[in-house]
Amino acid sequence: MKLYEYAIRRMFLLVFILLVISLIVFYMARGALPPEYSLAPYITPRMTDSQKLNLAQSLGVATAVCPSYQAFTSHLPGCEAPLWGQYVDWLELVLKGDWGYSQLPGLQGTAKTWDVFSARFPYTAQIAIVSAILTFLIAFPMGIISATHNNKLPDHASRITALVGYSLPTYWFGYMLQIIFVLYLAIQGKGLFPSSGALSTDCAICFSSPGVIPAITGLPLLDSLLSGNMPYFWDGFVSLILPALTLSLGTMAALTRIVRSSMMEALRQDYILLARSKGLRERIVVYRHALRNAMLPAITVSGLIFAGLLGGVVLVETVFAYPGIGQAIVSASLVVDINFLELYVLVTAVILVVSNLCVDMIYAVLDPRIRY
Amino acid sequence: MYFLFKQNPVVVAGSVIAVGSLLLALLSRFIVDPNLWQVENLGQRLCWNNPAFSWPVSNVYNCSGASYPLGTDSYGRNVLQMIILAIPLDLEISLTIVILATIVGVALGSLAAYAGGKIDELILRITDVFFALPALVLAIVVMVVLGRTLQNLTIAVLITWWPYYVRLIRSQVLSEKERPYVEALRSTGASPLRILFLHILPNTIYPVIVQMTLDIGGVILTFSALMFLGFSPNPLLPELGNLVTDGISYVFTAPWLIIFPGLTIVIIVLGFNLLGDGIRDILDPRLRR
Repeated sequence: MKLYEYAIRRMFLLVFILLVISLIVFYMARGALPPEYSLAPYITPRMTDSQKLNLAQSLGVATAVCPSYQAFTSHLPGCEAPLWGQYVDWLELVLKGDWGYSQLPGLQGTAKTWDVFSARFPYTAQIAIVSAILTFLIAFPMGIISATHNNKLPDHASRITALVGYSLPTYWFGYMLQIIFVLYLAIQGKGLFPSSGALSTDCAICFSSPGVIPAITGLPLLDSLLSGNMPYFWDGFVSLILPALTLSLGTMAALTRIVRSSMMEALRQDYILLARSKGLRERIVVYRHALRNAMLPAITVSGLIFAGLLGGVVLVETVFAYPGIGQAIVSASLVVDINFLELYVLVTAVILVVSNLCVDMIYAVLDPRIRY
Repeated sequence: MYFLFKQNPVVVAGSVIAVGSLLLALLSRFIVDPNLWQVENLGQRLCWNNPAFSWPVSNVYNCSGASYPLGTDSYGRNVLQMIILAIPLDLEISLTIVILATIVGVALGSLAAYAGGKIDELILRITDVFFALPALVLAIVVMVVLGRTLQNLTIAVLITWWPYYVRLIRSQVLSEKERPYVEALRSTGASPLRILFLHILPNTIYPVIVQMTLDIGGVILTFSALMFLGFSPNPLLPELGNLVTDGISYVFTAPWLIIFPGLTIVIIVLGFNLLGDGIRDILDPRLRR
């Protein structure tokens, strides 16, 4: 099988996975909603906009929220449909890009689910990207040093750091950082890190008003840097440090161990012996001969790292009150906002599956021995 | 003992912590009255009252008399007692999840590897769906439909956990079933089930045991994270994640409410991680060099 055929096959698999996941989430969320509870962000999939508006007005509801299932079943086609039919209706709407109105507390029916999601997503993206960079920047040097100084002090130190790293509860570590940096530094009169939010209050107001920061890349932090808005950049940057550190701890620990073991495996190979016997300097042996081969196993686990980061943002954003999608998903699950849950789950699945596919592609390009 | 420690200090330290926490869990009902967690004593809210260690925070009540080594929580309960009550609960749930996940994983994973073909493909595609979401996100989605009880939380974590064992056992059995001894057994006319359960599985079970040991800690982390996110059935319940959650509103006024339950999680999880890591080193001497 050619590489691109393999990629196409995986993309078909992705569609299948997305369908199954959306079906499961839909059934679960519908099962969780009692019939007399709010039905869904849509009154019914088959209604026109004017019908929605009429109904909403006749019920005294300002927006298109379906407050009662039983009230509608008598005269609305979509509401009497069996669960399977409701799923098909829902899928039809979603494929057209209509995600309905948000059910999140404070936003009920006033904002589109898609708008809420896309406003929050850049914050999660920037926290995940910074954490991923941090993970690679710290894990690779630590793993390499630990392998070259096998069973010496640096090795033990990195081993203990890594083991402690994945034994720490993410949320607890976040609070510890808050206690140490925010509380302690505040007592010392050197308050640098905010304990919550993506910005301090005055900057948050500037950010939310349109036009202050032009949308270039969509990531608030990068945009403020590119447009030269240094005070805002610094403010956003400082509030990103602690969350990113918290998030990257677990993945950093895992990657360090993997880099170490694959590096040790590489250093035992015959070509290293040859390189050493040629009289090459140790630096070149380690970084040019061993590291390149040790990179491969480390790259394969990058997929796991993305999974760890995407799962971890839920906790980190909750701890630091960071306005990303991970913070919203918890309240979305408590009020059973079907569409937000679906959107979140599907986007997460796409990111994970596509990044795993990219990892496989990179692996195949780097290692010509791999055949799919 | 000294020799053992010298030989492999990691596994000794790990087993001491792991066995210690299991013992503490078994004995906890004799140390602390198991019904104590339901008792609220609002006269003792947020007492620190520990002569050995003072914390520079405000809003702490001055409770003279009895001393509370780890302080008291917002319900007036002794934090140390609550932690001792929480350890058996966490370990019990964690062991249940790991054992059930292993049983499901062994059944489906060995079936997939041994039967191959369509069954293998089907089981793999099902696990693909589970691997497309991070465990925590999947557990949150499952909790949407399940009511908030301890049992349902256990089910939610279990649902996210079994696919890893299916993959692990499948890959182990796949490599093992090509070995000559399996072929020899087959030629003697042994039945496939006999070969699988009496010969292949006992030979492939060591990585599973290592993974189980490591996962006891991992499950505690995930479970307590769910508790922290607000899926707790009862805010009073002595579960380590729940105890941390209790302290959130007091993070800057009474930090011990967060520090000590969390530290207990760290120690227990670290113990099982060290133990698993050590066992792996012993079973796979290649990595030790």
